[in-house]
Amino acid sequence: MGTGNPIGPPIMLFLIKIAWMNSFRNARRTLLAGLAIGIGLAALIFTDGLMIGMSDSIVRIATDTFMGHGQVHAEGFRSTRDVARVVKGLPGVLERLRADPEVERFSLRVQTPGMLASPATSGTVLLYGVDPGLERPFSRVDEAIVEGSFLEREDRRRILVGSKLAEALEIGLGDRVVVTAAEAESGELAQEMFRVGGIFRFGVRELDGGVGFAHIETVQRLLGLPGEVHEIALHLKSFSGTGAMDAGFRSRFSRNGNEARSWRELMPQLSAILDMSGFSSLIVGVILFAVVSLGIVNTLFMSLHERIFEYGVLRAVGTRPGRMAMMILFEAGALSLFSILIGCGIGFAVTFLYSVQGIDYSGIEFAGVTLRELIFPVLRLEQFVLFPVCVFLFTLVAGIYPAVFAARLKPAQAMKMYE
Amino acid sequence: MRGGSVLIEAEGLSKIYRVGEIDVSALKAVDLKVARGEFTAIAGPSGSGKSTLLNILSGLDTPSDGRVSLAGTPISEMGGRTLSDFRRDHIGFIFQAYNLIPVLTVLENIEYVMLLQGVSRRVRRERVREMLSTVGLEGMENRRPPQLSGGQQQRVAVARAMVSGPDLILADEPTANLDSATGAALLDLMRELNERRGMTFLFSSHDRMIMDRARRLVVLKDGSLVQDVTRSGP
Repeated sequence: MGTGNPIGPPIMLFLIKIAWMNSFRNARRTLLAGLAIGIGLAALIFTDGLMIGMSDSIVRIATDTFMGHGQVHAEGFRSTRDVARVVKGLPGVLERLRADPEVERFSLRVQTPGMLASPATSGTVLLYGVDPGLERPFSRVDEAIVEGSFLEREDRRRILVGSKLAEALEIGLGDRVVVTAAEAESGELAQEMFRVGGIFRFGVRELDGGVGFAHIETVQRLLGLPGEVHEIALHLKSFSGTGAMDAGFRSRFSRNGNEARSWRELMPQLSAILDMSGFSSLIVGVILFAVVSLGIVNTLFMSLHERIFEYGVLRAVGTRPGRMAMMILFEAGALSLFSILIGCGIGFAVTFLYSVQGIDYSGIEFAGVTLRELIFPVLRLEQFVLFPVCVFLFTLVAGIYPAVFAARLKPAQAMKMYE
Repeated sequence: MRGGSVLIEAEGLSKIYRVGEIDVSALKAVDLKVARGEFTAIAGPSGSGKSTLLNILSGLDTPSDGRVSLAGTPISEMGGRTLSDFRRDHIGFIFQAYNLIPVLTVLENIEYVMLLQGVSRRVRRERVREMLSTVGLEGMENRRPPQLSGGQQQRVAVARAMVSGPDLILADEPTANLDSATGAALLDLMRELNERRGMTFLFSSHDRMIMDRARRLVVLKDGSLVQDVTRSGP
């Protein structure tokens, strides 16, 4: 006869023990179910690692190519492209940039839309005036040159044009071209003659087909803006790719009529695509585990039906319905833990292998950025904490249906089912 | 019925199963009283309603009509958790096979009901040892069921059924999967426990051996009680 409170840890531990041992009574079935769930988890870990690696790579390419991690402009310049809106208080801004421990390097630029005329034809161009000494280590313009060479500090008549623009204007190295643009103050048209000193190819449509680079002082003269700049592009030391930029960055440089913007604000379309690809990974993950959970339900039901007489006996001798349900959930938990071990093992091995070897996606364009380097999947602690926890919870949720079935099982019915 | 106090009182028990479109009457208005300390066999051919009656008397199944009281408690009106707890505290079960949980040791199988009851570890171990000695399985507490013979497994089932001192031991064809010598030995053991400890045993069987050893024989045919004989002597 009972002598105490039937609720207590010993029976729970006992039920956990029964569930754990039951899980491995049909080792082949448990192994197959564990592999199915584990491979799903491994696929999720690898896909997440790959997406992070790819996103980081895309952001790095996008920011390192020319844009930088962030930029400073005069307020309203980005929306109007009014060349009269130059960075306010430039000497002070430069002083703060040089003193800022977070800023690794920066480049000064002026820019204007203009007409580029070749002997054969003409086309529109977005002309950047850059300081060769600052721009060379800052962006990848130098690396992107496929013919000729980068700008020289002394040669102020040299212009670099994109390969597609050169093709459209039928110009090559050494050809003379004329840029026509509106002066900042008067709005009157002004012209400068350049000689093509280099042709670049980034693999980015906008850059290759509509951009030119010239010496900053020449473009400043063309626009009547000596000593002024429209844009300060900068690289931060602690830049974390797809991560959020330092919140202080905006406040430190958005002052005195200037505004600082991160790459996410400068390239909202890329930011949106990356966010969307993260969301689509989540959907794929949910679908994957929905399918896997059906497998779990099936496995649990198979084991339940296989041992239906035993469950009938357990119910007969006084196991409460709730405890029967718990035992099935413990069994689901045991299956889940086993699967998580498999999944984390496979996921770590595959992701680690490719994080060292890299995956070659070069030449593939994503969100307007052409991949030019190996993608290295990234291993993160969350992949081995958050995802397994999700798998565990998913498995338990999937186990609810068979658990409720077991709880509602009448002992006589269970034994009859066996017969 | 012998002269002891009434343990089981069943009145007008009926059970109708629905098989497809047809209603099958497994029990038809059965009345039965069992006194404490009886050693009763419910006999009858296959399909006569023996197991159905046993299931209803022990609260494993519910009657379509009629009522059952066990130790004065109307169990046919109970359900869920209350009924589970009642079975745990008042009834010991022995089935024809697959009685034991294969992943647990003999000791764990026997102490399971006491664990459900919240009995302390020390008391559990003492009672298990005593029961193992009673059923002649000393030293086998750490074996698992697959390592035991059919007869030994049924002895463990007897030990589990009796270890918590229930009012009633219910055995559904306990010798069905045993050879005759092993079955006879098991029955002798149960009879001895009945006589020594005064425990009430109720069997369902069509085994001649059980019928011969039962002090009272209740015979069912087509769901109706057709004979109820109490024997005197050993």
